[in-house]
Amino acid sequence: MGVMRIGHINLRVLDMAAALDHYQGVLGLIKTHEDDAGNVYLKGWDEWDKYSVMLTPSDRAGMNHIAYKVEADADLDVLKGRIQDYGVAVDDVPAGTLTACGRAIRFNMPSGHEMFLYAEKEFVGKSVGTTNPEPWPDGLKGIGAHWLDHALLMCELNPEAGINKVAETTDFLMKTMDFHLAEQVMVGPDGDIQAATWLFRTSTPHDIALVGGPKMGLHHCAFFLDEWNDVLKAADVMAKNKVKMDVTPQRHGITRGYTIYFFDPSGNRNETFAGLGYLAQPDMPPITWTEDNLWRGIFYHTGEEAGAFTSVYT
Amino acid sequence: MDATGTPEADLRFTITIADTGETYACGPGQSLLDAMVALGRKGIPSGCHGGGCGVCKIKVANGTYETLTMSREHISAEEEAQGIVLACRTFPRSAIRLSVLGKMRKAVTQRRYGLV
Ligand code: FES
Ligand SMILES: [Fe+2]
Repeated sequence: MGVMRIGHINLRVLDMAAALDHYQGVLGLIKTHEDDAGNVYLKGWDEWDKYSVMLTPSDRAGMNHIAYKVEADADLDVLKGRIQDYGVAVDDVPAGTLTACGRAIRFNMPSGHEMFLYAEKEFVGKSVGTTNPEPWPDGLKGIGAHWLDHALLMCELNPEAGINKVAETTDFLMKTMDFHLAEQVMVGPDGDIQAATWLFRTSTPHDIALVGGPKMGLHHCAFFLDEWNDVLKAADVMAKNKVKMDVTPQRHGITRGYTIYFFDPSGNRNETFAGLGYLAQPDMPPITWTEDNLWRGIFYHTGEEAGAFTSVYT
Repeated sequence: MDATGTPEADLRFTITIADTGETYACGPGQSLLDAMVALGRKGIPSGCHGGGCGVCKIKVANGTYETLTMSREHISAEEEAQGIVLACRTFPRSAIRLSVLGKMRKAVTQRRYGLV
């Protein structure tokens, strides 16, 4: 019962045509719907629900909301109660308000980010079907990403002013929705300030990550690839298409994932993320990275800040 | 942008970063930021190259240009009217003299807590 996985992310884009060239042509997502307001909905070939990415035309970049799918309709009532008891206001959202979804609940996490939980979304199916499927479909464009894997949200962190939205939001996700802590970064003179966390509900090391920064925002959303060779190929596709890469193929110490950071045409950071990392389970002891090893945690090979990890986000 | 071999393809404007005196060449189909980065030059902070993050904010002192949509989070309508733009969304139509407004957050704040 409870939260199963990330359901979708709603990104704001400055130029829909350029965004579609990127999300369809480069990432290889498949457009499944466009609504009257001009929002475009896409899914990965290996996803079965109608969409995992919703693009909204806007005059600014960033994320409008993030949504997670729960297992059963009744979970929405249980989770609503737990979130309200925690002290966070929850709105009931009628079916259809989230396009192609059943009823939902809506709230702002302590970090300020808007989150929805829903139990039902229209079924479309994987591109390879469910009967004697091929391992991958023909006709994929670009990278051919499998699915939306996770998002990393920037949360306000200002220890001198007593503000730590990373720690607050981590506590909220763990206590209300039973997210489990896979890894954390602890900083400060006494190593007691939780500056970043990686949390899971599935059996992979993270379904959401929180990192401290000057203000709240979206750091990146990540799309899944099978393995390291796919990461290299993805980088080639990006270079061919002159996609602005922030960090070329590399390994994260944290989660052990193989990564590329790059930007969509509106400046929202994307990631292609490959590998299981490791089997994450509720009884796994959380991993801690200390401040002196922070950058080895984030970029394992170089051990230093690459690209513009903490200063550039939307 | 124009790779057809027409005279336009050879057109290059001189861009001057007033802060450092650095100059570089930029064609009409290249953004001011892309051209700087492609030549290995420094001066304007380089981030998302998509008009979303705001680090490449500049003020054009003189010269003409065209822009693509820039995030209102970082460039207000009033600023835009005063020649304050994002270098990654700005394409020259003449020689340009600019000054740098955007700063990488890490360069201006001392980090005491690893990430902030
Ligand atoms: S580099 Fe991000 S707005 Fe220009
Ligand atoms: Fe990630």
